[in-house]
Amino acid sequence: MWFAKLLLRGLLPVGCFALLAWLSHGPAWAWAVAALGCTLLVCVHARQSAALAAWLDAPESREFPKAGGAWGEILRQLADKLADERRGREEVEARLLSFRGAMDAVPDGLVILDADHRIQWSNRAAGAHLGIRLPRDNGVIIEHLVRTPGFAEYLASPDAHNPFALQAPAARTRIYTIRVVPLGDANKLLVSLDVTDARRVESMRSTFVANVSHELRTPLTVVSGFLEYFTDDGALDAEQRRQFARRMSEQTARMLTLVDDLLTLSRLEAEDAPASEEAVDMAALLEQLRTEGESLSDGRHRLEVICQGPALRGNRKELHSAFGNLVSNAIRYTPAGGEIIIEWAVRDGAGVFSVRDSGVGEIGRHLPRLTERFYRVDRGRSRDTGGTGLGLAIVKHILLRHQASLSIASEVGTGSTFNAVFPDWRLPPWK
Amino acid sequence: MSNHLSKQFDLELEHIRTRILQMGGLVESQLQTAIDAFSSGDIEAMQQVVERDREVDANEVGIDEDCTLLIARRQPTARDLRLVMAVSRIVTDLERIGDKAAKIANKSRKLHAVACQRIPRLSEIRHCARLAIEMLQSALDSLARMDIDTARQAIGADKAIDAAFNAILRQLITYMIEEPRTISEALDIIWVVKAIERVGDHASNIAENVIYIVSGEDVRHTGAARMRADEA
Repeated sequence: MWFAKLLLRGLLPVGCFALLAWLSHGPAWAWAVAALGCTLLVCVHARQSAALAAWLDAPESREFPKAGGAWGEILRQLADKLADERRGREEVEARLLSFRGAMDAVPDGLVILDADHRIQWSNRAAGAHLGIRLPRDNGVIIEHLVRTPGFAEYLASPDAHNPFALQAPAARTRIYTIRVVPLGDANKLLVSLDVTDARRVESMRSTFVANVSHELRTPLTVVSGFLEYFTDDGALDAEQRRQFARRMSEQTARMLTLVDDLLTLSRLEAEDAPASEEAVDMAALLEQLRTEGESLSDGRHRLEVICQGPALRGNRKELHSAFGNLVSNAIRYTPAGGEIIIEWAVRDGAGVFSVRDSGVGEIGRHLPRLTERFYRVDRGRSRDTGGTGLGLAIVKHILLRHQASLSIASEVGTGSTFNAVFPDWRLPPWK
Repeated sequence: MSNHLSKQFDLELEHIRTRILQMGGLVESQLQTAIDAFSSGDIEAMQQVVERDREVDANEVGIDEDCTLLIARRQPTARDLRLVMAVSRIVTDLERIGDKAAKIANKSRKLHAVACQRIPRLSEIRHCARLAIEMLQSALDSLARMDIDTARQAIGADKAIDAAFNAILRQLITYMIEEPRTISEALDIIWVVKAIERVGDHASNIAENVIYIVSGEDVRHTGAARMRADEA
């Protein structure tokens, strides 16, 4: 097709001129014209080829050759094709770039290894986890960089279910688990995962379980001790029997409160929001808190209730539990003769429930840990006062569910103030 | 690294490098465990360090044998020969560091066996040990990457270890002057610190050998590497 076109376009004019020369001057002239035409044709083609070859030698610096006729058509098509290709390449490059960006954003470290365990590619997280940086480490055997004993063996026979635990080579403060999965025929993909926080939570959970067991164990030991006496029939008279039974029921009551608190906590954790919300009459609630507080205090403290705020939108049962915990804490940790002020008021548009005591106020340095479960300011004292160590944890949870915040102010000598601050939309008028 | 006509030769060279770096990893973890046990008094960990020292020794013998075999079979030249020679020297340094780790573990065991401790575990010792471990790590990293700059940095870090060593020594001398009963304990601690300081020297030897492999320049005892590390 192209051959015919080029031949025709080149030879047709030459043939025509030669024919004209034949008709006017005879055959000798016709041959001369044809020879001249062919020479010219060869020269034109040679020039075009030379221009194209020169451009191919240095495509960046030279301009793309231009021409008319058949050569023009060829060059135009070539230029179109090149532009298409460049566009396609740019698209692929842009895609690759955005893919790299996405891979670098992945929090897990990713490393691609070839059959000899040479590093082919890695993302940014891998740099932080394993100290691999591209392009410096391109082609380095990974066992040369990650030298922790056992890693090479794991890499040789990876077990997808049993990841390899690696301590950070640099500071040894972080722990990573490493998994290796086959990629393609011979390549391997190495995935590293930062499990430092997960390990920390795990250890927190296990200390929590240990704490619960310990809290339950103490009363159980007491009860079982007394029960041993009871099995020994003649050893006890009626008065002793009564006294022991009373002590035992005290201990079982303690266990019950603890289990109740644990159940409350786990229920609070399981649900995100209170089941139902209503307008809680704060005056009535505060009055109820005073009655309960007085019975707990047994006349040892002076309780004052100030209710200046409106009703509060929330779950009455939960709010009662949270406020009750704050009040009973204040009563427990304030020496006899102290004063406790329970107040509900509106400050700066926010509803503030506060419990102020005239206690020792020495909790300042414990503040950050106070709402941790089983955290005790004074180990020896607090268990005698009957607390479970879960009160403030429950308070924190309930307040979180009501979008409220707990702030604690404490000063040695003047006592502590616990403030629960509720957002304005929980106060009337409600929409 | 280099390309040889025989792929097998390349593989053998890489294998030797992998083995020496793996041994380095083992020694690193030995040292770290020993130092941790020194601070925490974990007797089991100390025991483990002492037992694993045999593994380090076995590694040394194995790698040395590999080097000898490779020289005999392949007659390496130029850079390959330098690599093999340097590896057989590095292996000795690593084995010594392993010995130091075992020594630290042994001394810690003795220190913790005594009921009362008159000298507190100085935080400077931990600091000094961390410097030594980091130095060993960067020396091994420079071997893994064949990177002269890292090697020079590692050599330069030896100065900081020496300074920390002298500071600890002065502190211990104060203890000994004030209370002669602390002398035996202080002496044991000095053994530990001296071992840490020696680790720095061995790590610096390793880094010098890396420079030798890459550039063919023998910088031992010349101070050239040290000077350039200061410039850098």
